[in-house]
Amino acid sequence: MASSEPDKSLVDKTLAGDRAAFGVLVERYAAQARRVARAVLGDPDDADDAAQDGFLSALVKLAQYDARRPFGPWLMRIVANAATDRRRRRNVRRAEPLDPSLVGGGPRPDALAVRSELGDRLRAALAELPERRRTAVVLFDAEGYSHGEIAGILGIPEGTVRSEVFHGRRRLRTLLADWKEQVR
Amino acid sequence: MKEDLELRAALKAALEPPDDQAAFVARVMAQYDNALERATIPALDVLASWFRPGIAAAALIAGFFLGRVALAPASPAASESIDAAMASAEGTGVAALVTAQDPPDPSVVFTSLVEPQ
Repeated sequence: MASSEPDKSLVDKTLAGDRAAFGVLVERYAAQARRVARAVLGDPDDADDAAQDGFLSALVKLAQYDARRPFGPWLMRIVANAATDRRRRRNVRRAEPLDPSLVGGGPRPDALAVRSELGDRLRAALAELPERRRTAVVLFDAEGYSHGEIAGILGIPEGTVRSEVFHGRRRLRTLLADWKEQVR
Repeated sequence: MKEDLELRAALKAALEPPDDQAAFVARVMAQYDNALERATIPALDVLASWFRPGIAAAALIAGFFLGRVALAPASPAASESIDAAMASAEGTGVAALVTAQDPPDPSVVFTSLVEPQ
């Protein structure tokens, strides 16, 4: 099956009972769904559980999908809801304090370690943001969704999305600039 | 709001799952049949979930009416009430009703039936 097959066609095939078609959809959106779930939950294992819940929930609700709209935002809404539900159930902490060892200077590590350190810092910074803000900024900056699509995914007004993305990326950009300054 | 490619790359890298994607896809697909199977059962689940509150509500309503019947003061039998109402409607009242030129005042008719005393 060609991986370039449109989502709508894959959805139709899945609805007709084609298991492989659903497999292509999962493959296509797996990385995105896992990142979005991780943005909500923080923990990668929890995120994978939530992403799986989201895909299976989407499979069950597939007949409700409106094929006139793009599939990605519809799926991400389900994944984000699954992640939020899981966070509520497990009472995951809303924010994690920055690890002081990550903030400090220290010796200049090699390129891989630098990259890893940036990842740690970004995750810590994301964890400090309110859940809605970090989900919005990840959907906008990492996944490339429009404000309107994010409004649909999160079920909030577009103006609120703009505000959340603005504040969220300001925090992350500051962190990114500091980090670049530090490794220079 | 402009796209920030640098931030995009950094965020994607930071949120990238640690393990192989193929393993995740396989994990989801392993639950494919279970998910569809479970989706056919909810109708029964929903009925079952309605059943319990339904029984509770019916028991409450039945209890309410039983309580009312048990606590209500003794009242004349329904047949007695109807007889009384018919009796009050007999005599001049009936004749007046039949021979009158104007239609009867509904409040008079209903009052005589509902409150025969």
